[in-house]
Amino acid sequence: MKIKRRKFLKGLAGAGAGVAAAPLLTGTALARENHTLKDDHIGMLYDATRCIGCKACEVACKKANNMPVEPDEKGIYDAPRDLSYKTMNIIKLYKGEEGTSFVKKQCMHCVDPSCVSGCPTAALKKEPNGIVSWDIDACVGCRYCQMNCPYNIPKFEFNDAYGKIVKCELCKNTNLAEKGQPACTEACPNQAVVFGKVKELLVKAKRRIMDSPALYINQVYGEREGGGNSVLYLSSVPFEKLGLPKLPDASDASISEGIQHTLYQGLLAPVVIYGGLVAIAYRNRFGKKED
Amino acid sequence: MNTNKKPLGGKILTAPVMVLAIPVLVALYFLAYRFIFGIGGPVSNLTDHQSWGVWKVLGVLVGAALVNGGYVTAFIVYIFNKGHYHRFVAPAVLVSFLGYSFAGIALLYDVGRYWGLLNFFIPKYWQPNSVLFEVAICVMSYVFILGIEFFPNILEKFIPDSESGKNFAAKLHSVLDRLLFLTVAFGVVLPTMHQSGLGGLAILFGQKLSPLWQTPFISLLYLISAIAMGLFTVTAVEILITEDLRDKAFVTLLSKLARLGKNVALVFILLRWVEILHMGGLGKAFELNVESFSFWLEMIAFGTAIYLLRNSKNRSSPRLLFLGACLTLFGGALYRVNTYIVGFNPAPDVFYFPSLPEFMISIGMFCLEIVIFITIVKIFPVLTRE
Repeated sequence: MKIKRRKFLKGLAGAGAGVAAAPLLTGTALARENHTLKDDHIGMLYDATRCIGCKACEVACKKANNMPVEPDEKGIYDAPRDLSYKTMNIIKLYKGEEGTSFVKKQCMHCVDPSCVSGCPTAALKKEPNGIVSWDIDACVGCRYCQMNCPYNIPKFEFNDAYGKIVKCELCKNTNLAEKGQPACTEACPNQAVVFGKVKELLVKAKRRIMDSPALYINQVYGEREGGGNSVLYLSSVPFEKLGLPKLPDASDASISEGIQHTLYQGLLAPVVIYGGLVAIAYRNRFGKKED
Repeated sequence: MNTNKKPLGGKILTAPVMVLAIPVLVALYFLAYRFIFGIGGPVSNLTDHQSWGVWKVLGVLVGAALVNGGYVTAFIVYIFNKGHYHRFVAPAVLVSFLGYSFAGIALLYDVGRYWGLLNFFIPKYWQPNSVLFEVAICVMSYVFILGIEFFPNILEKFIPDSESGKNFAAKLHSVLDRLLFLTVAFGVVLPTMHQSGLGGLAILFGQKLSPLWQTPFISLLYLISAIAMGLFTVTAVEILITEDLRDKAFVTLLSKLARLGKNVALVFILLRWVEILHMGGLGKAFELNVESFSFWLEMIAFGTAIYLLRNSKNRSSPRLLFLGACLTLFGGALYRVNTYIVGFNPAPDVFYFPSLPEFMISIGMFCLEIVIFITIVKIFPVLTRE
């Protein structure tokens, strides 16, 4: 009896240790594949070399999506300093040793988004057309999306008892639905930001680099970064200078979900361990007393 | 079960309880403010960049690990069948039950859309890819399990002394006792899942988390450190609530617990260093900044605790036991604060320190927990007394 139980305990401990050590032995090898870009994913191509910093896209975005203004100190201009719950799209300026460039910031609509992977109640969703959207009814306001977004995009209305998450949804219920493209791309006077199918935009971006290799950094930001984005960038100054971080090709979601799915595949491991523990606790309680 | 559990009795509204009530009232004042005006300033210093602060990190992450005693005692007593530790179970389960309940309460004021928490009960909102979803479901189920584990202690008050008349409480008690093996097994599986999940949340932070803490094995590190913390919470709490520190048998029992705790802490530190080297974080440890300072403080706390508790002579001194326990708990708490706040660098020059109201809400809730604990052990048979 005793030997049997000990053997059983050992086996169970082995199984448990195996589950616990699985990620240890293989590390990131547990990561699942990145999600991939689909043919009908829509997005934008922003070419920083064409941007003249007129901020027409900012105005159009606020107008189309009914966003409040953020006046400057004198209260004359709408002059947001950064993305916030009042501003989903902004033009910023980099001026430094690597040159001068504008950069447009908004949700990147990642191909394999961390926010969607982490959201506990499926409030953030990757729609079939690639838009990362937010569902007001599902959201609990846990703000995990803010913590895990590599671009710090989702914003929260902290000073509201019924605060919402605010982020660019590519005008999916506004300009895109009404006029077939987001307000920012429609407003851009210089075609610095254009709307289209991401795969086509990628071809377009690469052609531009090929046509004027001296003008561009030889990289389309968003093709691979963190698993890729539906918003692509071209620039003449290094992307990190524009606040676009260097990211590994594997998305963070692929690592997180890979580990999670290995541990909890069909809930098998927890169920088996639960069963084993029940058996041990039962024996300990009702079995013959040994010592 | 031939236990000597007794209610402590005595007045409920003693001087210490009155003193503890002050921060509770302050916290309630600020909470009212939070629910009327939102979580932003002046209530908290949370921002879009650092949007998890002390409420989540102290109230939920650190809180859940500190009260992990219910898990480790269930493991030791019911799975490893070490019956002589049984006197530790009831107080540990009570601490866990209160701690986890308050972690849930912390979420109510931390999340921005608390009414949305009901969505966790609606299958169409379930998102099994999310580590946070898994943690939330496990924690909620575990509070329920802890309630069942603790409930017999409440019932015992209503069981008459003589065996002759078995009342309803006695019958229910015996049913629960017979089914305890089912509950206890949940009481081991669920914390294993969510304690590791609480670390796993950080994987999605990617490069925003310093390589001193970021690793694909962070779930395992959180689980191991939570076990060490659970063991040392039992040690510390038992030393605080015992009547007689000269009771040799009692101290011997505690020192065995501490030996296990020390070994687990050692495994944690070793694995921690393997991962720091693996992730290439070593250089970060020697930069001169808040991050490296906080990192070494964490290491020193664990190292000192392990050193203090290195031999059985030291471990038989309640003073050193208590000190070692507190150091480990501090180190484990700091490990969590470091992962989610200090080592978390969403953008250059993001600095977060909690506001006074934010801090007071966390402290007030902690005091309320202690008041409830004291009150329950006075009324119900939880603590073992000769």
